[in-house]
Amino acid sequence: MIRFDQVSKRYEGGHEALSSVNLHIQKGEMVFLTGHSGAGKSTLLKLITRTETCSSGQVRVNNQLLHRISRRQVPFFRRHLGIVHQDHQLLMDHTVYDNVALPLVIAGEHPKDISRRVRAALDKVGLLKREKYRPIQLSGGEQQRVGIARAVVKKPVILLADEPTGNLDPALSKDIMNLFAEFNRVGTTVLIASHDLGLIARLNYRVLSLNQGKLMTTPFDGAQS
Amino acid sequence: MTQRKPNQPVISKHNKPSNRKREQSAVNHKAWLRHHRDTALDSLLRLVRQPVSSALTWLVIAISLTLPTLFYLALTSLQQQTVQWQEGGQITLYLRQTVSEADGERLTDELNARAEVLRAHYISAEEAWASFRETLNLSRSPFATENNPLPASIVVIPTQQNNQQLEVLRILIDGLPEVEEVQLDLAWIERLNRFIDLIYRIVAGLAALLGIAVLLVVGNTIRLAIESRKAEIQVVKLLGATEAFVRRPFIYLGLWYGLFGGLAAWMLVSLVIWWLSGPLAAFLSTYGLTAPIAWLSVFETLLLILAAILVAILGARIALWRHLKDAEPQ
Repeated sequence: MIRFDQVSKRYEGGHEALSSVNLHIQKGEMVFLTGHSGAGKSTLLKLITRTETCSSGQVRVNNQLLHRISRRQVPFFRRHLGIVHQDHQLLMDHTVYDNVALPLVIAGEHPKDISRRVRAALDKVGLLKREKYRPIQLSGGEQQRVGIARAVVKKPVILLADEPTGNLDPALSKDIMNLFAEFNRVGTTVLIASHDLGLIARLNYRVLSLNQGKLMTTPFDGAQS
Repeated sequence: MTQRKPNQPVISKHNKPSNRKREQSAVNHKAWLRHHRDTALDSLLRLVRQPVSSALTWLVIAISLTLPTLFYLALTSLQQQTVQWQEGGQITLYLRQTVSEADGERLTDELNARAEVLRAHYISAEEAWASFRETLNLSRSPFATENNPLPASIVVIPTQQNNQQLEVLRILIDGLPEVEEVQLDLAWIERLNRFIDLIYRIVAGLAALLGIAVLLVVGNTIRLAIESRKAEIQVVKLLGATEAFVRRPFIYLGLWYGLFGGLAAWMLVSLVIWWLSGPLAAFLSTYGLTAPIAWLSVFETLLLILAAILVAILGARIALWRHLKDAEPQ
Protein backbone atom coordinates (compact mmCIF):
# COMPACT_ATOMS: atom_id res chain seq x y z
CA MET A 1 0.00 0.00 0.00
CA ILE A 2 2.86 2.32 0.89
CA ARG A 3 6.26 1.59 -0.57
CA PHE A 4 9.49 3.60 -0.33
CA ASP A 5 12.44 2.67 -2.55
CA GLN A 6 15.74 4.33 -1.72
CA VAL A 7 13.96 7.52 -0.77
CA SER A 8 15.99 10.57 0.25
CA LYS A 9 14.77 14.00 1.05
CA ARG A 10 17.09 16.95 1.13
CA TYR A 11 15.71 20.36 2.01
CA GLU A 12 17.01 23.60 0.62
CA GLY A 13 20.07 24.49 2.60
CA GLY A 14 21.40 20.93 2.46
CA HIS A 15 19.72 19.39 5.50
CA GLU A 16 19.00 15.74 4.72
CA ALA A 17 15.79 14.76 6.50
CA LEU A 18 15.59 11.23 5.08
CA SER A 19 18.36 9.18 3.54
CA SER A 20 17.87 6.01 1.49
CA VAL A 21 14.72 4.85 3.19
CA ASN A 22 13.20 1.55 2.10
CA LEU A 23 9.90 0.45 3.54
CA HIS A 24 6.83 -1.46 2.58
CA ILE A 25 3.53 -1.28 4.41
CA GLN A 26 1.01 -3.79 3.17
CA LYS A 27 -2.70 -3.35 2.67
CA GLY A 28 -4.57 -3.73 5.95
CA GLU A 29 -1.45 -3.35 8.12
CA MET A 30 -1.18 -1.14 11.16
CA VAL A 31 2.30 0.26 11.71
CA PHE A 32 3.89 2.67 14.15
CA LEU A 33 6.61 5.06 13.17
CA THR A 34 8.85 6.26 15.99
CA GLY A 35 11.92 8.36 16.41
CA HIS A 36 13.14 11.47 18.19
CA SER A 37 11.83 14.80 17.03
CA GLY A 38 13.82 15.76 13.98
CA ALA A 39 14.37 12.14 13.02
CA GLY A 40 12.28 12.58 9.88
CA LYS A 41 8.87 11.26 10.92
CA SER A 42 7.00 14.34 9.70
CA THR A 43 8.98 14.41 6.47
CA LEU A 44 8.10 10.79 5.81
CA LEU A 45 4.40 11.53 6.32
CA LYS A 46 4.62 14.62 4.12
CA LEU A 47 6.08 12.50 1.33
CA ILE A 48 3.11 10.12 1.63
CA THR A 49 0.57 12.99 1.48
CA ARG A 50 2.51 14.55 -1.40
CA THR A 51 2.95 17.76 0.59
CA GLU A 52 6.62 17.30 -0.22
CA THR A 53 8.30 15.37 -3.01
CA CYS A 54 11.38 13.24 -2.50
CA SER A 55 14.79 14.35 -3.78
CA SER A 56 15.65 10.87 -4.99
CA GLY A 57 14.08 7.42 -4.98
CA GLN A 58 10.48 6.40 -5.46
CA VAL A 59 7.40 6.70 -3.29
CA ARG A 60 4.44 4.54 -4.25
CA VAL A 61 1.16 5.01 -2.38
CA ASN A 62 -2.12 3.29 -3.25
CA ASN A 63 -0.54 2.01 -6.47
CA GLN A 64 0.44 5.47 -7.62
CA LEU A 65 3.98 6.68 -8.12
CA LEU A 66 3.87 10.04 -6.39
CA HIS A 67 6.52 11.78 -8.47
CA ARG A 68 4.48 10.92 -11.57
CA ILE A 69 1.19 12.52 -10.54
CA SER A 70 0.68 16.12 -11.61
CA ARG A 71 -0.28 19.05 -9.42
CA ARG A 72 -3.82 18.80 -10.76
CA GLN A 73 -4.12 15.17 -9.72
CA VAL A 74 -2.79 15.68 -6.20
CA PRO A 75 -6.21 16.63 -4.69
CA PHE A 76 -7.81 13.50 -6.13
CA PHE A 77 -4.97 11.38 -4.82
CA ARG A 78 -5.33 12.88 -1.33
CA ARG A 79 -9.03 12.00 -1.22
CA HIS A 80 -8.00 8.38 -0.64
CA LEU A 81 -6.10 9.33 2.49
CA GLY A 82 -7.34 10.13 5.98
CA ILE A 83 -5.02 12.37 7.94
CA VAL A 84 -5.01 13.00 11.70
CA HIS A 85 -2.83 15.81 13.02
CA GLN A 86 -1.34 16.32 16.45
CA ASP A 87 -3.11 19.65 16.81
CA HIS A 88 -6.15 18.15 15.03
CA GLN A 89 -6.38 21.17 12.63
CA LEU A 90 -10.11 21.69 13.06
CA LEU A 91 -11.83 24.78 11.69
CA MET A 92 -12.69 26.69 14.84
CA ASP A 93 -15.45 28.82 13.33
CA HIS A 94 -17.38 25.78 12.11
CA THR A 95 -19.44 23.24 14.05
CA VAL A 96 -18.25 19.71 14.75
CA TYR A 97 -20.69 18.51 12.10
CA ASP A 98 -19.33 20.89 9.44
CA ASN A 99 -15.75 19.91 10.27
CA VAL A 100 -16.45 16.22 9.82
CA ALA A 101 -18.51 16.87 6.67
CA LEU A 102 -15.69 18.83 5.00
CA PRO A 103 -14.02 15.92 3.11
CA LEU A 104 -17.43 14.89 1.74
CA VAL A 105 -18.31 18.47 0.71
CA ILE A 106 -14.94 18.74 -1.03
CA ALA A 107 -15.62 15.49 -2.88
CA GLY A 108 -19.02 16.83 -3.96
CA GLU A 109 -21.17 14.23 -2.18
CA HIS A 110 -24.92 14.64 -1.95
CA PRO A 111 -26.14 16.42 1.24
CA LYS A 112 -28.29 13.41 2.23
CA ASP A 113 -25.30 11.07 2.00
CA ILE A 114 -23.20 13.58 3.85
CA SER A 115 -25.49 13.78 6.87
CA ARG A 116 -25.78 10.01 7.08
CA ARG A 117 -22.05 9.43 6.86
CA VAL A 118 -21.09 12.27 9.20
CA ARG A 119 -23.44 10.89 11.87
CA ALA A 120 -22.00 7.40 11.38
CA ALA A 121 -18.45 8.73 11.82
CA LEU A 122 -19.38 10.81 14.88
CA ASP A 123 -21.16 7.82 16.35
CA LYS A 124 -18.04 5.72 15.93
CA VAL A 125 -15.90 8.18 17.89
CA GLY A 126 -18.69 8.65 20.45
CA LEU A 127 -19.46 12.29 19.74
CA LEU A 128 -22.87 12.07 18.09
CA LYS A 129 -24.38 14.36 20.74
CA ARG A 130 -21.75 17.04 20.14
CA GLU A 131 -22.40 17.66 16.43
CA LYS A 132 -23.72 21.21 16.95
CA TYR A 133 -20.84 22.24 19.25
CA ARG A 134 -17.85 24.27 18.14
CA PRO A 135 -14.45 22.58 18.59
CA ILE A 136 -13.48 25.19 21.18
CA GLN A 137 -16.28 23.93 23.46
CA LEU A 138 -14.82 20.41 23.51
CA SER A 139 -11.97 18.89 25.55
CA GLY A 140 -8.62 18.06 23.95
CA GLY A 141 -9.47 14.36 23.67
CA GLU A 142 -12.84 15.15 22.13
CA GLN A 143 -11.27 17.52 19.62
CA GLN A 144 -8.83 14.80 18.59
CA ARG A 145 -11.74 12.40 18.12
CA VAL A 146 -13.46 14.94 15.88
CA GLY A 147 -10.22 15.05 13.90
CA ILE A 148 -10.31 11.25 13.61
CA ALA A 149 -13.97 11.30 12.57
CA ARG A 150 -13.06 13.77 9.83
CA ALA A 151 -10.19 11.54 8.70
CA VAL A 152 -12.31 8.40 8.45
CA VAL A 153 -15.64 9.81 7.24
CA LYS A 154 -14.74 9.11 3.60
CA LYS A 155 -13.60 5.58 4.39
CA PRO A 156 -10.01 6.19 3.29
CA VAL A 157 -7.81 3.31 2.20
CA ILE A 158 -4.94 4.71 4.25
CA LEU A 159 -5.16 6.43 7.61
CA LEU A 160 -2.15 8.54 8.58
CA ALA A 161 -1.70 10.03 12.02
CA ASP A 162 1.04 12.44 13.13
CA GLU A 163 1.47 12.29 16.92
CA PRO A 164 -2.27 11.82 17.46
CA THR A 165 -1.82 11.44 21.23
CA GLY A 166 0.86 14.09 21.62
CA ASN A 167 -1.29 16.37 23.77
CA LEU A 168 -3.35 13.76 25.62
CA ASP A 169 -2.99 11.98 28.96
CA PRO A 170 -2.25 8.21 28.96
CA ALA A 171 -5.84 7.04 29.46
CA LEU A 172 -7.13 9.18 26.57
CA SER A 173 -4.15 8.13 24.43
CA LYS A 174 -5.09 4.50 24.91
CA ASP A 175 -8.68 5.22 23.83
CA ILE A 176 -7.45 6.95 20.70
CA MET A 177 -5.12 4.07 19.82
CA ASN A 178 -7.97 1.63 20.31
CA LEU A 179 -10.00 3.67 17.85
CA PHE A 180 -7.25 3.36 15.25
CA ALA A 181 -7.06 -0.38 15.90
CA GLU A 182 -10.80 -0.62 15.30
CA PHE A 183 -10.51 1.06 11.93
CA ASN A 184 -7.60 -1.20 11.11
CA ARG A 185 -9.74 -4.25 11.89
CA VAL A 186 -12.17 -3.33 9.10
CA GLY A 187 -9.34 -3.21 6.57
CA THR A 188 -7.92 0.31 6.65
CA THR A 189 -4.15 0.58 6.39
CA VAL A 190 -2.95 2.65 9.35
CA LEU A 191 0.36 4.43 9.86
CA ILE A 192 0.84 6.29 13.14
CA ALA A 193 3.85 8.47 13.90
CA SER A 194 4.39 8.67 17.63
CA HIS A 195 7.19 9.03 20.13
CA ASP A 196 5.09 7.55 22.95
CA LEU A 197 7.26 4.43 23.18
CA GLY A 198 5.63 3.14 26.36
CA LEU A 199 2.22 3.08 24.75
CA ILE A 200 3.53 1.52 21.53
CA ALA A 201 5.34 -1.22 23.42
CA ARG A 202 2.09 -2.32 25.04
CA LEU A 203 0.41 -2.65 21.66
CA ASN A 204 1.41 -5.50 19.45
CA TYR A 205 2.12 -3.89 16.09
CA ARG A 206 5.05 -3.52 13.75
CA VAL A 207 7.26 -0.58 14.66
CA LEU A 208 9.43 1.36 12.25
CA SER A 209 11.99 3.53 13.92
CA LEU A 210 13.76 6.48 12.36
CA ASN A 211 17.04 7.86 13.55
CA GLN A 212 18.57 10.90 11.88
CA GLY A 213 16.78 10.21 8.63
CA LYS A 214 17.63 6.52 8.49
CA LEU A 215 15.22 3.65 9.02
CA MET A 216 16.59 1.42 11.81
CA THR A 217 14.44 -1.67 11.35
CA THR A 218 14.37 -3.80 8.25
CA PRO A 219 11.18 -3.41 6.23
CA PHE A 220 9.49 -6.63 7.37
CA ASP A 221 10.67 -7.34 10.89
CA GLY A 222 8.67 -6.88 14.05
CA ALA A 223 5.43 -8.44 15.10
CA GLN A 224 2.67 -8.65 12.57
CA SER A 225 -0.83 -8.44 13.96
CA MET B 1 -9.24 5.61 -17.70
CA THR B 2 -11.14 3.23 -19.97
CA GLN B 3 -9.97 2.60 -23.46
CA ARG B 4 -12.26 1.24 -26.15
CA LYS B 5 -11.21 -2.13 -27.54
CA PRO B 6 -10.47 -2.03 -31.27
CA ASN B 7 -13.40 -4.23 -32.31
CA GLN B 8 -16.00 -2.67 -30.09
CA PRO B 9 -18.68 -0.74 -32.03
CA VAL B 10 -18.42 3.01 -31.71
CA ILE B 11 -22.10 3.48 -30.91
CA SER B 12 -23.88 0.92 -28.82
CA LYS B 13 -27.33 1.52 -27.39
CA HIS B 14 -26.80 -0.39 -24.21
CA ASN B 15 -23.45 0.91 -23.30
CA LYS B 16 -23.72 0.57 -19.56
CA PRO B 17 -20.35 1.97 -18.54
CA SER B 18 -20.95 5.13 -20.54
CA ASN B 19 -24.42 5.49 -19.04
CA ARG B 20 -22.96 5.16 -15.62
CA LYS B 21 -20.32 7.66 -16.53
CA ARG B 22 -22.97 10.08 -17.73
CA GLU B 23 -24.95 9.65 -14.53
CA GLN B 24 -21.79 10.18 -12.55
CA SER B 25 -21.02 13.35 -14.46
CA ALA B 26 -24.59 14.60 -13.92
CA VAL B 27 -24.13 13.99 -10.19
CA ASN B 28 -20.80 15.82 -10.28
CA HIS B 29 -22.38 18.66 -12.18
CA LYS B 30 -25.12 18.99 -9.56
CA ALA B 31 -22.57 18.86 -6.78
CA TRP B 32 -20.58 21.53 -8.56
CA LEU B 33 -23.61 23.80 -8.90
CA ARG B 34 -24.53 23.16 -5.27
CA HIS B 35 -21.07 24.13 -4.15
CA HIS B 36 -21.20 27.30 -6.26
CA ARG B 37 -24.51 28.26 -4.68
CA ASP B 38 -23.35 27.48 -1.15
CA THR B 39 -20.05 29.29 -1.63
CA ALA B 40 -21.71 32.38 -3.12
CA LEU B 41 -24.09 32.52 -0.17
CA ASP B 42 -21.34 31.90 2.36
CA SER B 43 -19.17 34.66 0.87
CA LEU B 44 -22.13 37.04 0.95
CA LEU B 45 -22.81 36.18 4.61
CA ARG B 46 -19.16 36.81 5.45
CA LEU B 47 -19.50 40.32 3.99
CA VAL B 48 -22.77 41.00 5.79
CA ARG B 49 -21.29 39.84 9.12
CA GLN B 50 -18.68 42.60 8.89
CA PRO B 51 -20.91 45.43 7.67
CA VAL B 52 -18.58 48.34 8.47
CA SER B 53 -15.42 47.09 6.78
CA SER B 54 -17.44 45.74 3.83
CA ALA B 55 -19.25 49.05 3.40
CA LEU B 56 -15.94 50.94 3.49
CA THR B 57 -14.58 48.80 0.67
CA TRP B 58 -17.76 49.31 -1.33
CA LEU B 59 -17.48 53.04 -0.80
CA VAL B 60 -13.87 53.14 -2.01
CA ILE B 61 -14.88 51.20 -5.13
CA ALA B 62 -17.89 53.47 -5.61
CA ILE B 63 -15.85 56.67 -5.37
CA SER B 64 -13.28 55.33 -7.82
CA LEU B 65 -16.04 54.55 -10.31
CA THR B 66 -18.08 57.69 -9.70
CA LEU B 67 -15.48 60.16 -10.96
CA PRO B 68 -15.01 58.74 -14.48
CA THR B 69 -18.74 58.08 -14.75
CA LEU B 70 -19.54 61.72 -13.98
CA PHE B 71 -16.94 62.93 -16.49
CA TYR B 72 -18.42 60.60 -19.07
CA LEU B 73 -21.90 61.96 -18.40
CA ALA B 74 -20.71 65.57 -18.60
CA LEU B 75 -19.02 64.84 -21.89
CA THR B 76 -21.96 63.13 -23.57
CA SER B 77 -24.28 65.93 -22.56
CA LEU B 78 -21.73 68.52 -23.71
CA GLN B 79 -21.67 66.83 -27.11
CA GLN B 80 -25.45 66.94 -27.34
CA GLN B 81 -25.29 70.66 -26.58
CA THR B 82 -22.59 71.42 -29.11
CA VAL B 83 -24.79 70.08 -31.91
CA GLN B 84 -27.03 73.08 -31.19
CA TRP B 85 -24.18 75.50 -30.59
CA GLN B 86 -22.60 74.59 -33.89
CA GLU B 87 -25.36 76.39 -35.76
CA GLY B 88 -23.36 79.48 -34.84
CA GLY B 89 -20.57 78.14 -37.02
CA GLN B 90 -21.06 79.51 -40.50
CA ILE B 91 -19.32 80.23 -43.78
CA THR B 92 -19.86 83.55 -45.57
CA LEU B 93 -19.34 83.60 -49.36
CA TYR B 94 -18.80 87.14 -50.74
CA LEU B 95 -19.89 87.15 -54.38
CA ARG B 96 -18.22 89.06 -57.24
CA GLN B 97 -19.81 92.41 -58.18
CA THR B 98 -20.49 90.98 -61.63
CA VAL B 99 -22.80 88.28 -60.29
CA SER B 100 -26.44 89.35 -60.70
CA GLU B 101 -29.02 89.01 -57.97
CA ALA B 102 -30.79 86.22 -59.95
CA ASP B 103 -27.52 84.28 -60.31
CA GLY B 104 -26.86 84.73 -56.59
CA GLU B 105 -30.30 83.36 -55.70
CA ARG B 106 -29.77 80.41 -58.07
CA LEU B 107 -26.40 79.59 -56.49
CA THR B 108 -28.04 79.73 -53.04
CA ASP B 109 -30.70 77.24 -54.16
CA GLU B 110 -27.97 74.98 -55.55
CA LEU B 111 -26.10 75.09 -52.25
CA ASN B 112 -29.30 74.41 -50.32
CA ALA B 113 -29.80 71.25 -52.35
CA ARG B 114 -26.43 69.83 -51.23
CA ALA B 115 -26.25 67.31 -48.39
CA GLU B 116 -23.30 69.04 -46.69
CA VAL B 117 -25.31 72.23 -46.33
CA LEU B 118 -27.84 72.55 -43.57
CA ARG B 119 -29.06 75.97 -44.66
CA ALA B 120 -27.89 78.62 -47.17
CA HIS B 121 -29.21 82.15 -47.09
CA TYR B 122 -28.73 84.85 -49.76
CA ILE B 123 -28.06 88.44 -48.67
CA SER B 124 -28.21 90.96 -51.50
CA ALA B 125 -25.91 93.99 -51.61
CA GLU B 126 -28.83 96.31 -50.72
CA GLU B 127 -29.84 94.24 -47.69
CA ALA B 128 -26.25 94.16 -46.47
CA TRP B 129 -25.91 97.93 -46.90
CA ALA B 130 -29.17 98.61 -45.08
CA SER B 131 -28.24 96.40 -42.13
CA PHE B 132 -24.72 97.89 -42.06
CA ARG B 133 -26.00 101.45 -41.89
CA GLU B 134 -28.54 100.53 -39.27
CA THR B 135 -25.96 98.83 -37.10
CA LEU B 136 -23.62 101.81 -37.23
CA ASN B 137 -26.48 104.26 -37.05
CA LEU B 138 -25.32 106.01 -40.23
CA SER B 139 -28.69 106.76 -41.80
CA ARG B 140 -28.43 110.46 -41.06
CA SER B 141 -24.73 110.82 -41.68
CA PRO B 142 -23.15 112.11 -44.89
CA PHE B 143 -22.28 108.51 -45.83
CA ALA B 144 -25.95 107.78 -46.27
CA THR B 145 -25.93 108.97 -49.83
CA GLU B 146 -22.67 107.27 -50.75
CA ASN B 147 -22.70 104.37 -53.20
CA ASN B 148 -23.04 100.94 -51.70
CA PRO B 149 -19.53 99.44 -51.40
CA LEU B 150 -20.72 96.07 -50.06
CA PRO B 151 -20.97 92.90 -52.16
CA ALA B 152 -23.84 90.41 -52.10
CA SER B 153 -23.17 87.31 -50.00
CA ILE B 154 -24.43 83.83 -49.15
CA VAL B 155 -24.34 82.58 -45.57
CA VAL B 156 -23.89 78.81 -45.41
CA ILE B 157 -24.46 76.69 -42.28
CA PRO B 158 -22.89 73.29 -42.72
CA THR B 159 -24.66 70.09 -41.73
CA GLN B 160 -21.64 68.05 -40.70
CA GLN B 161 -19.48 69.70 -38.18
CA ASN B 162 -16.47 67.54 -37.64
CA ASN B 163 -13.22 68.94 -38.89
CA GLN B 164 -12.65 66.66 -41.88
CA GLN B 165 -16.14 67.09 -43.27
CA LEU B 166 -15.84 70.85 -42.90
CA GLU B 167 -12.64 70.71 -44.93
CA VAL B 168 -14.47 68.94 -47.78
CA LEU B 169 -17.09 71.68 -47.89
CA ARG B 170 -14.41 74.37 -47.84
CA ILE B 171 -12.67 72.89 -50.91
CA LEU B 172 -16.00 72.70 -52.74
CA ILE B 173 -16.75 76.37 -52.07
CA ASP B 174 -13.25 77.47 -53.02
CA GLY B 175 -13.90 76.06 -56.50
CA LEU B 176 -16.98 78.21 -57.18
CA PRO B 177 -16.29 80.87 -59.85
CA GLU B 178 -18.94 83.29 -58.54
CA VAL B 179 -17.22 83.61 -55.20
CA GLU B 180 -14.81 86.48 -54.64
CA GLU B 181 -13.83 85.70 -51.07
CA VAL B 182 -14.70 83.16 -48.37
CA GLN B 183 -14.91 84.02 -44.71
CA LEU B 184 -14.89 81.08 -42.40
CA ASP B 185 -16.39 81.51 -39.00
CA LEU B 186 -15.50 77.97 -38.04
CA ALA B 187 -12.33 78.25 -36.02
CA TRP B 188 -14.14 77.96 -32.72
CA ILE B 189 -15.94 74.79 -33.83
CA GLU B 190 -12.60 73.30 -34.67
CA ARG B 191 -11.32 74.31 -31.26
CA LEU B 192 -14.40 72.87 -29.57
CA ASN B 193 -14.00 69.57 -31.39
CA ARG B 194 -10.35 69.35 -30.47
CA PHE B 195 -11.19 70.27 -26.89
CA ILE B 196 -13.77 67.47 -26.71
CA ASP B 197 -11.20 65.02 -28.13
CA LEU B 198 -8.79 66.10 -25.42
CA ILE B 199 -11.37 65.69 -22.67
CA TYR B 200 -12.23 62.22 -24.00
CA ARG B 201 -8.61 61.24 -23.66
CA ILE B 202 -8.47 62.61 -20.13
CA VAL B 203 -11.64 60.74 -19.15
CA ALA B 204 -10.36 57.49 -20.66
CA GLY B 205 -7.04 57.88 -18.83
CA LEU B 206 -8.80 58.70 -15.59
CA ALA B 207 -11.11 55.72 -15.97
CA ALA B 208 -8.11 53.44 -16.55
CA LEU B 209 -6.26 54.81 -13.50
CA LEU B 210 -9.26 54.54 -11.22
CA GLY B 211 -10.01 51.07 -12.62
CA ILE B 212 -6.53 50.08 -11.47
CA ALA B 213 -7.34 51.63 -8.09
CA VAL B 214 -10.42 49.37 -7.81
CA LEU B 215 -8.25 46.42 -8.82
CA LEU B 216 -5.76 47.21 -6.06
CA VAL B 217 -8.40 47.85 -3.41
CA VAL B 218 -10.20 44.58 -4.11
CA GLY B 219 -6.89 42.74 -4.51
CA ASN B 220 -5.71 43.95 -1.12
CA THR B 221 -9.02 43.13 0.56
CA ILE B 222 -8.94 39.62 -0.89
CA ARG B 223 -5.31 39.26 0.15
CA LEU B 224 -6.33 39.97 3.75
CA ALA B 225 -9.19 37.47 3.44
CA ILE B 226 -6.77 34.81 2.17
CA GLU B 227 -4.38 35.66 5.00
CA SER B 228 -7.10 35.27 7.65
CA ARG B 229 -8.25 31.94 6.23
CA LYS B 230 -4.80 30.51 5.59
CA ALA B 231 -5.16 27.70 8.13
CA GLU B 232 -8.49 26.73 6.63
CA ILE B 233 -7.01 26.68 3.11
CA GLN B 234 -4.17 24.43 4.27
CA VAL B 235 -6.64 22.04 5.89
CA VAL B 236 -8.97 21.75 2.92
CA LYS B 237 -6.03 21.23 0.58
CA LEU B 238 -4.86 18.27 2.65
CA LEU B 239 -8.42 16.93 2.53
CA GLY B 240 -8.25 16.85 -1.26
CA ALA B 241 -9.68 20.22 -2.28
CA THR B 242 -8.85 21.31 -5.84
CA GLU B 243 -7.40 24.73 -6.61
CA ALA B 244 -10.79 25.77 -8.01
CA PHE B 245 -12.49 24.74 -4.77
CA VAL B 246 -10.05 26.81 -2.74
CA ARG B 247 -10.34 29.83 -5.03
CA ARG B 248 -14.12 29.82 -5.33
CA PRO B 249 -15.05 31.60 -2.08
CA PHE B 250 -12.59 34.41 -2.81
CA ILE B 251 -13.79 34.84 -6.38
CA TYR B 252 -17.32 35.17 -5.05
CA LEU B 253 -16.08 37.61 -2.44
CA GLY B 254 -14.70 39.70 -5.32
CA LEU B 255 -17.96 39.38 -7.19
CA TRP B 256 -19.95 40.69 -4.23
CA TYR B 257 -17.53 43.55 -3.66
CA GLY B 258 -17.89 44.48 -7.35
CA LEU B 259 -21.67 44.21 -7.37
CA PHE B 260 -22.22 46.28 -4.24
CA GLY B 261 -19.44 48.71 -5.17
CA GLY B 262 -21.09 49.19 -8.59
CA LEU B 263 -24.52 49.73 -7.02
CA ALA B 264 -23.03 52.21 -4.57
CA ALA B 265 -21.33 54.00 -7.48
CA TRP B 266 -24.67 54.27 -9.26
CA MET B 267 -26.27 55.76 -6.15
CA LEU B 268 -23.38 58.18 -5.71
CA VAL B 269 -23.60 59.31 -9.35
CA SER B 270 -27.35 59.84 -9.02
CA LEU B 271 -26.79 61.81 -5.83
CA VAL B 272 -24.20 64.07 -7.45
CA ILE B 273 -26.42 64.69 -10.48
CA TRP B 274 -29.32 65.58 -8.22
CA TRP B 275 -27.04 67.83 -6.16
CA LEU B 276 -25.67 69.71 -9.18
CA SER B 277 -28.59 69.83 -11.59
CA GLY B 278 -30.33 72.84 -9.94
CA PRO B 279 -27.33 75.19 -9.81
CA LEU B 280 -26.17 74.02 -13.26
CA ALA B 281 -29.51 74.87 -14.85
CA ALA B 282 -29.45 78.29 -13.17
CA PHE B 283 -25.90 78.92 -14.36
CA LEU B 284 -26.59 77.88 -17.96
CA SER B 285 -29.77 79.91 -18.13
CA THR B 286 -27.68 83.07 -17.67
CA TYR B 287 -26.17 82.18 -21.08
CA GLY B 288 -29.64 81.52 -22.46
CA LEU B 289 -28.96 77.78 -22.51
CA THR B 290 -31.05 74.94 -21.18
CA ALA B 291 -29.34 72.34 -18.99
CA PRO B 292 -29.08 68.89 -20.54
CA ILE B 293 -30.86 66.02 -18.81
CA ALA B 294 -28.03 63.64 -18.04
CA TRP B 295 -29.04 60.48 -16.24
CA LEU B 296 -27.44 57.11 -16.75
CA SER B 297 -29.55 54.96 -19.05
CA VAL B 298 -30.49 51.45 -17.96
CA PHE B 299 -27.87 50.08 -20.34
CA GLU B 300 -25.18 52.41 -19.01
CA THR B 301 -26.10 51.51 -15.42
CA LEU B 302 -25.82 47.80 -16.17
CA LEU B 303 -22.53 48.44 -17.94
CA LEU B 304 -21.19 50.33 -14.90
CA ILE B 305 -22.14 47.51 -12.51
CA LEU B 306 -20.82 44.83 -14.87
CA ALA B 307 -17.53 46.69 -15.23
CA ALA B 308 -17.27 46.94 -11.44
CA ILE B 309 -17.88 43.20 -11.05
CA LEU B 310 -15.37 42.27 -13.75
CA VAL B 311 -12.65 44.52 -12.35
CA ALA B 312 -13.29 43.20 -8.82
CA ILE B 313 -13.13 39.57 -9.94
CA LEU B 314 -9.91 40.33 -11.79
CA GLY B 315 -8.54 41.89 -8.59
CA ALA B 316 -9.51 38.75 -6.67
CA ARG B 317 -7.85 36.51 -9.25
CA ILE B 318 -4.63 38.51 -9.11
CA ALA B 319 -4.59 38.34 -5.31
CA LEU B 320 -5.21 34.58 -5.43
CA TRP B 321 -2.50 34.07 -7.99
CA ARG B 322 -0.04 36.03 -5.86
CA HIS B 323 -0.92 34.72 -2.41
CA LEU B 324 -2.41 31.23 -2.68
CA LYS B 325 1.09 29.82 -3.01
CA ASP B 326 1.79 30.90 0.57
CA ALA B 327 -1.06 28.73 1.79
CA GLU B 328 0.25 25.33 0.76
CA PRO B 329 -0.14 22.72 3.51
CA GLN B 330 2.86 22.50 5.85
